[in-house]
Amino acid sequence: MKDLPQTVFVVDDDDAVRDSLRMLLKSAGVHAETSASAQEFLSRYDASQPGCLVLDVRMPGMSGLEMQHELNLRGVTMPVIFITGHGDIPMAVEAMQQGAFDFLQKPFRDQELLDRVQRALVRDAENRARLRHTDRIRERLASLSPREREVLDLVTQGKANKMVAGDLGVSQRTVEIHRAHVMQKMEAGSLAELVRMMMAVAPSP
Amino acid sequence: MTAPTPEVLALLEATLDAVVIMDDRGRIESFNTSAEVMFGYRAADAIGRNVNMLMPASERGQHDDLGHYLAGGEARALGRGRDVRVQHRDGSEFSVFLSVGRIPDASPPKSVGFFHDTSLRQKALATLDKERQVNRLYLDLAQVMLVATDRHGVVQLANQRAIRVLKRDHTTIVNSHWLDSCVAPEDRPVARVAFRNLLVSGNDEPQQFEYHVRSSDGDDRFVTWRGVALRDASNVATGVMLSGEDITDQRRAESEAHRALERMNSVARLATMGEMAAGISHELNQPLAAIANYAQACVRFLRMPAPDLPEISGALEQIASQALRAGEIIRRIRSLVRNEDVRRESQDINELIREVHGLLASDARVHDGKLALDLTVPLPSVTVDGVQIQQVLMNLVHNAFEAQGPEHDGAPFEVRIATRVTDAGDVEVSVSDLGPGLAGEAEQKIFEPFFTTKASGTGLGLAISRSIIKAHDARLGYRANQPRGACFYFVLPAHQGASP
Repeated sequence: MKDLPQTVFVVDDDDAVRDSLRMLLKSAGVHAETSASAQEFLSRYDASQPGCLVLDVRMPGMSGLEMQHELNLRGVTMPVIFITGHGDIPMAVEAMQQGAFDFLQKPFRDQELLDRVQRALVRDAENRARLRHTDRIRERLASLSPREREVLDLVTQGKANKMVAGDLGVSQRTVEIHRAHVMQKMEAGSLAELVRMMMAVAPSP
Repeated sequence: MTAPTPEVLALLEATLDAVVIMDDRGRIESFNTSAEVMFGYRAADAIGRNVNMLMPASERGQHDDLGHYLAGGEARALGRGRDVRVQHRDGSEFSVFLSVGRIPDASPPKSVGFFHDTSLRQKALATLDKERQVNRLYLDLAQVMLVATDRHGVVQLANQRAIRVLKRDHTTIVNSHWLDSCVAPEDRPVARVAFRNLLVSGNDEPQQFEYHVRSSDGDDRFVTWRGVALRDASNVATGVMLSGEDITDQRRAESEAHRALERMNSVARLATMGEMAAGISHELNQPLAAIANYAQACVRFLRMPAPDLPEISGALEQIASQALRAGEIIRRIRSLVRNEDVRRESQDINELIREVHGLLASDARVHDGKLALDLTVPLPSVTVDGVQIQQVLMNLVHNAFEAQGPEHDGAPFEVRIATRVTDAGDVEVSVSDLGPGLAGEAEQKIFEPFFTTKASGTGLGLAISRSIIKAHDARLGYRANQPRGACFYFVLPAHQGASP
């Protein structure tokens, strides 16, 4: 599955600030799309588009913070970089607590923005890659038979074939056959790799 | 005895002295009307009796009694006089000054006694003295400085109050020139002219003038002098009576109050500015951020092998216009904080509102609200200090946004500035909101200094707004807004003769 090109989504109600951000990003070879309000962005954003957000904290209508909250509700994991003015530090702190990626106080040096944008894009790519990885593991898990799944659970708990056979009330030979099918279906080269896969999809503690 | 001539008779009747003529044994021969009044005897009863009857009984018969003294015709008494005690018919004693003359060529010899009632004189003298003392007391009790001068300005009299204020010895004031003792050197030329005018004007209305006085210890006092010329019967000025009121403390209190008010004004201005600082810094940051971004983008484009020249040129234009935008914001802020004198000019209120719209809109943004303008065009022009009116508007709009509280129901909180022409043809400006409005105590006290409903309010904004509007001969009022919320309004008188 080929990645879509990464985009920096700029949301700012001030025409000049918005346009200057677009141009600055363009000059650094970064593709940017701009919206004048949170609503405008939300109405046309498709969660499959990779990238990051550059958000003005203060905007009429939905503020940057409210928009961040909305994104969290919608399960959008795109990193958010907040742009704040002087005196908005409490707001920036709140934004960080809500999971903002970073914030910048304006006016700022171009490199400060571009560095943060680059780090945000890397983070987004990692997030998306991780998501794709776990999606594949889940697909493979779904292809296992119930008996194979039982065997998998027991061997990843560190039990030897003999103990698994005892637990399940089957012969050791039968366990060996199920185990070979599990390794094949899960595309795991070793027990260690299988354990890592299971940890990646395990629900967070 | 020859009859007296008419001239002598007239003389005898005209004098207030008792005149008694007697022979060498003291027998009364003539007793004039004043003598009747003075001693209580009718002339008919007195004539023929001894003059000793006019003496107190205790002194009669003594060696130098009146009889001897008079009748003795003692030369030594002639041309002189002496005080003697005499007695009224009713028994009361009193003093007289007695002088005696001998009537020449009379045989037997006769003499005439002039009894001058000194007790009356003494009484009069005593009364006069008492009056003087009372006058002096009045002068000294007076809470004003009183200084009387002759027509040359030389001080004849100064009361205690004057002496205390001037901190001088009485003797150094009296006989000094009042300009030297009562007026500070720098005010003397003006005071001299005023004094001269007082004498020559012929106008007896008191003239008022205000001068410094420098007291002997160098303390500067302010005194309001009122002067009135004293004139004799032929209307010639003989002097001047000056009354001075020491208004130094009053002056100082006034200027202290004035300074306090000014301080309060600037504190309130600063407080308003502080409350709005967040909005202003945001407003100023926008163009600055845009400029920085555009400029940095230009640098990057220019470093490329094939720079995108249209993009660069567009960015440069943006930089210029954003710099101007920042300058405009600064200009407005400066006009708000400057402490200049009131400058009234004919103004279009709508124009003043549009000028501050940018700043107000940024305040609206901070409060997540919306600012609506509902301006009647055209409006008659009004004579106002534009900056002050804008300050009032900013204060009212800021209050309105603060009034919304945190629990607004999704819809943007709206504040509306409206202008309209009243039935009387004047201009009404109103600022209304859809907040909770005012109730009970708040409505009563809202204009009082230091009354506030805000957690961090100074309580000065509305009080100062009201005083600004009052200075424009108008009134800042409150009414409930329909369907809800608060509405503050003021009506400015339209220009005379201006057509809408």
